[in-house]
Amino acid sequence: MKQLTGTPPAESTVPTRRVDTLCPYCGVGCAVTYIADTQRNRIIHAEGRNGAANAGRLCVKGRYGHDYASHRQRLTRPLIRRDDAYPKGALSPMEERPGKPGGPVEESAVLPHFREASWDEALDLVADRLLAIRERDGGDALAGFGSAKGSNEEAYLFQKLVRAVFGTNNVDHCTRLCHASSVAALLEGLGSAAVTNVVRDVARADVALLTGCNPTDNHPVAATFIKDAAVNGTELIVVNSRRPRIADYASLYLPIQPGTDVALYNAMLHVLIRDDLLDHDFIRERTEGFGELAETVKPCTPVSAERICGVPAGDIERAARMLGGARAAMFFWGMGISQHTRGTDNARCLISLAMVTGNVGRPGTGLHPLRGQNNVQGASDAGLIPMVYPDYQAVDDAAIRKRFEELWGRPLSPRPGLTVTEIVGAARTGQIKGMYILGENPFISDPDVNKVREGLSSLEFLVVQDIFLTETAEFADVILPASSFMEKTGTYTNTDRRVQLGRQVLELPGEARQDWELICEIASRMGYPMHYDSVAEVFAEFAATTDAYASLSHAALGEWGRWYPCSDPETSEGEPIVFDDGFPRGRARLVPARFEPAEEQPDREYPLILGTGRVLEHWHTGTMTRRSRVLDTLAPEAEVELHEQDAERLGIADGQQVRVSSRRGTIVIRARVGTDVLPGTVFIPMHFKEACANLLTNPSVDPWGKIPGFKFCAVRVESAQAAA
Amino acid sequence: MTDVTLRIDGMSVTVPAGTTIWDAARDAGIDIPVLCHDPRMAPVGVCRLCAVDVGGRTLAAACVRACEEGMEVRTSTEQVQQDRRTLLDLLLSDYPDVSRRERSTGDDALLAQARKHGISNIPYPDGSRASPRGEDHSSQVITVDHQACILCDRCIRGCNELQHNDVLTRSGKGYRTRIAFDLDTPMGESTCVACGECAAVCPTGALTNRALDGIALVSEEET
Ligand code: SF4
Repeated sequence: MKQLTGTPPAESTVPTRRVDTLCPYCGVGCAVTYIADTQRNRIIHAEGRNGAANAGRLCVKGRYGHDYASHRQRLTRPLIRRDDAYPKGALSPMEERPGKPGGPVEESAVLPHFREASWDEALDLVADRLLAIRERDGGDALAGFGSAKGSNEEAYLFQKLVRAVFGTNNVDHCTRLCHASSVAALLEGLGSAAVTNVVRDVARADVALLTGCNPTDNHPVAATFIKDAAVNGTELIVVNSRRPRIADYASLYLPIQPGTDVALYNAMLHVLIRDDLLDHDFIRERTEGFGELAETVKPCTPVSAERICGVPAGDIERAARMLGGARAAMFFWGMGISQHTRGTDNARCLISLAMVTGNVGRPGTGLHPLRGQNNVQGASDAGLIPMVYPDYQAVDDAAIRKRFEELWGRPLSPRPGLTVTEIVGAARTGQIKGMYILGENPFISDPDVNKVREGLSSLEFLVVQDIFLTETAEFADVILPASSFMEKTGTYTNTDRRVQLGRQVLELPGEARQDWELICEIASRMGYPMHYDSVAEVFAEFAATTDAYASLSHAALGEWGRWYPCSDPETSEGEPIVFDDGFPRGRARLVPARFEPAEEQPDREYPLILGTGRVLEHWHTGTMTRRSRVLDTLAPEAEVELHEQDAERLGIADGQQVRVSSRRGTIVIRARVGTDVLPGTVFIPMHFKEACANLLTNPSVDPWGKIPGFKFCAVRVESAQAAA
Repeated sequence: MTDVTLRIDGMSVTVPAGTTIWDAARDAGIDIPVLCHDPRMAPVGVCRLCAVDVGGRTLAAACVRACEEGMEVRTSTEQVQQDRRTLLDLLLSDYPDVSRRERSTGDDALLAQARKHGISNIPYPDGSRASPRGEDHSSQVITVDHQACILCDRCIRGCNELQHNDVLTRSGKGYRTRIAFDLDTPMGESTCVACGECAAVCPTGALTNRALDGIALVSEEET
């Protein structure tokens, strides 16, 4: 006979609070309830909520990656660089040293160069130094990097500060490094850069093209819905040069040589036109420029494309026929399309494919560039872009500028500002002298970090506002301890255009302060009083400038958020599918693209092609995920993926240390030998400072989107022992 | 689609053909207990706790049986209740003394059903002592206690149907049947991507958040 005696009590009891909020990581925008230990001010458990994007599902980052917020290395006091820490330079070593674990910035090497300061001292210093540069050299000597990890409200205030107070349009953020080319192509083609339908609409597509994306790693919960669709009959065409796991669910997998996308898609357009698999009504009524497009792709036969892109001509034919025969087809793409020096051309081709087959504006059809950061869409909507104010309104349009001058009460610069990579270049030449960097880490995220190092060291004054000591903060004159996602309230716009409210879960550690308040403090101390009673009030000011958000407010967003546009949040969830009868620019413009080989082709000295990217467990420069116990334990180390044929030829064994060199630098890293990457190509994740992929990457950019070609540079791989 | 009309506990209910009895009852405000069923996943009818009287020779599992025109469903007759108590007795007969779920988040669904059905003495010997089924602590994020597993298949469906990670399955035969990762490798060495869905859908102490081992969460208001 067994007795049910009741569960014996646990060793310790923890007082908790549940907060309904969002995952801080990717653009999927999963809704989550975090359960906080209120005594120790840390999150200890997560439950998926039934959000529009996740239906209760979460991935490893959302469910277990929350502990970074209470990591002991959080910045808790303002820091000022000591006088003897000049001239400036990186303070912690870049390479992994024997016996030293890799990982983020070495605190012990960096902190002694700074002293703690009061908020008043630090903020006054920031305001005085920035003002002095503005007075002496003009506003264009200043620049700001905001972040797609911040809220819409923070993005709005930050660009307002740079424009109205610094007096320049030199304000940009990391979208430049991920989807700038997609945005350029979509604005040119449709007049709007937002996705035309939501991820989960894939359930209604017969065919979905997934190109240059690895959703199981980078948009994991979105991937689960794409796989749902595949199981229920949606045929997936997956195109990549490194086999993503979602290819297991594909009807057709096309391994493509890096940097040859235009050749493939032009050949698909060729087949669609040749075999008349077109939506003539759609082309006639909704597009312009078809004639020129048809002319351009006429010579682009599948056979000639095969020679360039390596995809068998028969498979190109089949992919084109699948698309052409589909009642509804959807197009997903990621950095494998956008991060090329011809990224805009790549995206133009995808737009053309969707347009000539009439696959936009109906259920199961649409263009969906998968957004990376949780607030890429919103940060761009709010104007963290050098050429445009909120809502993509051009800074060089006099009428628009006048409206913003009236709203903000300051004269504004008519000159479009510099982009991320241009700002770093201008810092090297001394044209940019002062910078405010909020929540970005260009020292790891930007291409050719040796150049970034020169740029950051040359700045006369740099203030970095962040939650941890980042590699970039090593170059700062002043470091301001900021709020993590878990400590703030604000709105975030996910890849689906869903505007959702993130709520404060934890208390700020130490003397750290809210990011939005710090922006206001700096503005006020620079002579431009900025005062808001609440984040909701900031949202209201932003929404009044931006049509898509005009009907929304914190109260209207409620627990679940809304898709924009949303005519009436009282009665509507907003629009999951847009452009059913017209594009913002009227007709869609079909812009033909011609294949051009990538600039830095492999040669005898650097015979392999490197592409960078991410792994499931880590996030960008690792400032958060490498401080999450679970995530860092699951993926503690960088690895270069190498095809087994190349490994054999080079005499490299799986797990061995190798040196990877490009024309710009060398890193030492562990080799992982397999068959996911194509022969002749290698892959390195970008997260690891001690094997910093961006030491190798090429800083040359796409002429339209100004995005660097992270997915293509020539490298050499050799055994670390042999080379030493 | 055609509708069917039936009676559940004397209440007339009209639902689209194909609706399960469990869904129809829920919409009518009648709670039929379940362990293996979760509305987000396809029903499998393995725990049998939702068995109801539809006038047939045997009881029918409400989570999988579709409503029929004119059906007379009774969800809590003495026989149904007795059946549930027997099922719970059997499930609990080798349940471990400590359910990690009950101890940390307090929401072990099997123990909740035991309480609801007033079960305290189990008329069988304690199976957990006779032949223990083991634990797996190899995962960074989830503790696996096979002793607390009732083979409801929720984790397997969570892994395969919701997340499509295709890692979890069943392995073994008879009493030795258990959930398994890949070809029965330890969870931490399997192809598991640590999404945590299995532990999120598990109703018992079998799959739980490792970070909560040994601590009890109490909501602030209660303290
Ligand atoms: S899919 Fe993205 S938003 Fe969702 S839990 Fe994972 S990282 Fe967070």
